[in-house]
Amino acid sequence: MGIERWWFTVPLRLKSILRRRQANLELDEELQFHLDHLIEEGIANGLSPREAREAALRTMGGLEQRKEEMVDTRRVNWLTDFIDDIHYARRSLRRASALTGFVVITLALGIGMTAASFSMVDALIFRPYPVPDHGKVVNLMSTSRDNAYDNFSYREYLDIRDHTNGYDGVIANAVIEPVGFSVDAGTTPRVKGGMMVSGNYFQVLKVKPQFGRGFRSDEDEVPGRDAVVVVGHDCWKREFASNPAVVGSVIRLNGIDFTVIGVAPESFPGMQVFVRPDFFIPLAMARMFATNPNRNFFEDRDDRQLSLKARLKAGTTLQEARSELTVLANDFQREYPKLNRDRGAAVRTQFELRTRGDAVEWKFTVIFSILALGVLLVACTNVAGLLLARAGTRTREIAVRLALGAGRFRLIRMLLTESLILSCLGGLAGIFVGYLAIEFLRAFSIPTSLPITIPFRMDARVLLACLALSVVSAFLCGLAPALQSTRMDLVTGLKTADVDAPGHKRLWGRNLLVVAQVATSLMLLTASFLMMRGFQQSLDAGTDFARAAKDHVLMASFDPRLMQYDAARTQRFFELLTDRVREVPGVQSAGLTQNPPLGLDDFEAIAFVPDGYQMPADRENFTSTMDTVDEGFFETMGIPIMRGRDFLPSDTQDAPRVAVVNEQFAKRYWPGADAVGKRIRLDGPAGTPVEIVGVAQTVKYRNTTDRRTEFVYIPLAQRPVSRMVLLLRAGGEPTQLLEPLKDVVRALDPNMPMVETRTYEDLYRYSAVEGPGVAVKLCGSMGVMALMLAIAGLYGLVAYNVTRRTREIGIRMALGAAPSDVLRLVMGKGLVLVAMGTVIGLAMGVAVERLMNSMLFNSGGLDVLAYALVVPSMFLVTMLAAYVPARRAARIEPTEALRYE
Amino acid sequence: MSKPTDLVQGTLDLLLLKILALEPLHGWAISRRLQIISREVLRVSEGSLYPALHKLEQEGWITAEWKQTENNRRAKFYSLTRLGRKQLELEAANWHVLSSAITRVVRLSEA
Repeated sequence: MGIERWWFTVPLRLKSILRRRQANLELDEELQFHLDHLIEEGIANGLSPREAREAALRTMGGLEQRKEEMVDTRRVNWLTDFIDDIHYARRSLRRASALTGFVVITLALGIGMTAASFSMVDALIFRPYPVPDHGKVVNLMSTSRDNAYDNFSYREYLDIRDHTNGYDGVIANAVIEPVGFSVDAGTTPRVKGGMMVSGNYFQVLKVKPQFGRGFRSDEDEVPGRDAVVVVGHDCWKREFASNPAVVGSVIRLNGIDFTVIGVAPESFPGMQVFVRPDFFIPLAMARMFATNPNRNFFEDRDDRQLSLKARLKAGTTLQEARSELTVLANDFQREYPKLNRDRGAAVRTQFELRTRGDAVEWKFTVIFSILALGVLLVACTNVAGLLLARAGTRTREIAVRLALGAGRFRLIRMLLTESLILSCLGGLAGIFVGYLAIEFLRAFSIPTSLPITIPFRMDARVLLACLALSVVSAFLCGLAPALQSTRMDLVTGLKTADVDAPGHKRLWGRNLLVVAQVATSLMLLTASFLMMRGFQQSLDAGTDFARAAKDHVLMASFDPRLMQYDAARTQRFFELLTDRVREVPGVQSAGLTQNPPLGLDDFEAIAFVPDGYQMPADRENFTSTMDTVDEGFFETMGIPIMRGRDFLPSDTQDAPRVAVVNEQFAKRYWPGADAVGKRIRLDGPAGTPVEIVGVAQTVKYRNTTDRRTEFVYIPLAQRPVSRMVLLLRAGGEPTQLLEPLKDVVRALDPNMPMVETRTYEDLYRYSAVEGPGVAVKLCGSMGVMALMLAIAGLYGLVAYNVTRRTREIGIRMALGAAPSDVLRLVMGKGLVLVAMGTVIGLAMGVAVERLMNSMLFNSGGLDVLAYALVVPSMFLVTMLAAYVPARRAARIEPTEALRYE
Repeated sequence: MSKPTDLVQGTLDLLLLKILALEPLHGWAISRRLQIISREVLRVSEGSLYPALHKLEQEGWITAEWKQTENNRRAKFYSLTRLGRKQLELEAANWHVLSSAITRVVRLSEA
């Protein structure tokens, strides 16, 4: 029925819209035809032609009034009226071009800021996986007491892949790691991002390579046999000049020859938000990434490096998948009580994974979005205030329209159309503002040689958001003025050009706007101020060493695996390297670390049991983040040893095992006692004993926004690692050491690549200055923008209110009121409103502070200083906004005021 | 001429659909036909007829076409669509239900 009906009605409606005149003419003609017949019938009945005509017209008379009704049955009035409204609004907005301009700019700022923050939220939270049918792709994670987002080991992956029924395939990938890439054996390798994936990766994700093919499952079965690689699209464009012939050619990765079998399509930049893999490599080739020679990726069930994703079968619910995996995790616990104790498993959707509790980025963007929405709200109240003021001056026009019979609803619609056009213009300009803001965010550089991309972009989703925001803001800022200006007493409305009907009802909306504006901008100002202070505080704590190191430390990474060194040769290389560079003139000290503090890599975790510590009954061990360093590390990095001793060259492989912990660690496990001399046992109560020989100062490890965390240092000699960062402390400019360092390395092995050579300042600037700096700048600019908008709006509203009372003020003064009385009257009103707004704004500010503390800073109590600075300044500004027009009003000559209309 | 009986609410559509089901007609002819068939009992004013026709057209139950009349004048002829035929069946059925119910009530003998 439905479609057939449209078949008839749609052309009719279209005709009514597009050929309105024609339709009306036809109606007239039809009625004329009827009239003619009536007349003829009258004449036939013996009436004179004149009488017949009059009689016919009488009969038809009622019809003329029903014509409008008949037009209504076409049900397109809303649209034709809308078109009329647009024409009308265009004319009336053009007349008030200054107002239009101001409104558009205000809205553009609000909408643009919100769009930019939405692009961040979208990239970090909402944007779906770039694969077909992405809603079915879920994440499987291992969960332990300390980490609800842990990975699985290769063995566990195989078990899960083979023993679950709820999925159309389970895939695994490791993190993106640096690989040395060269086109042939002769050239020095350059660093690219390689990611190990399971053989069914492309097939399960339903990603079809642009050229060549994806992996066959047998290419991921025998460790080390099939050296095949799929090239990422970006890399293919950059490194292979978009040449399809690359498929089938041989390239070198980490010194091994790989055959290129395919090129990933442009639509698939990878499943990660920030990084795009250059090379997809089968898991079976894992040896080329092995960091720890004591570990066997293919056998060790606790070598958990793989993150798992799976495609839900049609008909399988998330709940079913969850219970299935839980059963499997329980089996693991039973079978491998030592390795899998207290270990569960979870199935998480993309959204759940991206909004994980321990990630800071999305929280920041959410807070940022709230601030941006606040700015938009202030912008809307501003515009509402302006439109309200304008509606006042149109009182007579609207009264005339009402008197002529325009429906109130129709008038509201007309006024709303006007604000819709305004906000659409604002939206267009907002898109531009948003574009600039996003470009600003994208320009932010991250110091790594891995291909990190900033995923914020102006795309269809953001544009759609802009559109939605425009419509919403049209209603926000247009509804109140439209409602108020059409609710009027016709008689008074017609009598004066600009009437403020007595009584408080009409002022109510305007007062509300003032209060809302003060409150919102106060909240925004508080929030941005708190955010700036929060970042500052978190920056200052635990980063003294970094400020001292930034001008003097040079870093270079070495990964002898890229040159096929074995474990012994690797350790020998590091020993020689540090020995030689320490002899270079200008080098004060040199040290090795896996990852310097504030570095870009993740720290490894270490499981241990503190000796003599009463373990809770339900757990086997504790874990802590750790770093492997050599004896020169603390001196070079400038992290003071507070108690005990530094590592010594005598802490060799054969010497008793030792460790240095940080103060936080010591405080947690031996509160009130000296940790030096205490022992921890690795893995469990029966594990290798390690003596704590020193306590180092607690610093920031991963981010400058970190909370205080426990940390353990283990000497390199007792825990051989293949990829290390060399740190050199120079007396002067650290880059001067670059050439001598190159000479040293060349003497050791001319082919050894030096990866990510940079000064520590780069790292510091990124993690302590630019990253948080961008955040602080963004928040600051939000706050300032909100404040400026609020001041402008507030001033306008208060001034407008006062101006409209000019006549009243004149009468008061004519009756003998002194200027000071008038001033008190006007100011008093403003102050009451500002006070109300302040109280509400304070309450909202405290709420926002709670929220930010719980999400980002964890600083606890209220930031009194912030309020002490923000509140009075806000009050001052609004007082000023009331004072200036009040003063002007008080100076008016009574005679002039009385004449004023 | 006796005062025409007011139509039962909502029956005008039914009548118009029924008349047009017989043959396509223009507005004037419809009003004449109504009067003749119902033996002058039912009379629809022009003020009701044309809005009703327009409504039916907008619903897609009837469709209009400009054609020459026998006197060689241009007139708008309405005819029933397939949808309209279904609607007619529906409304006719409704009418039977309603009218027989009313008849039953009216015929109740007083006890």
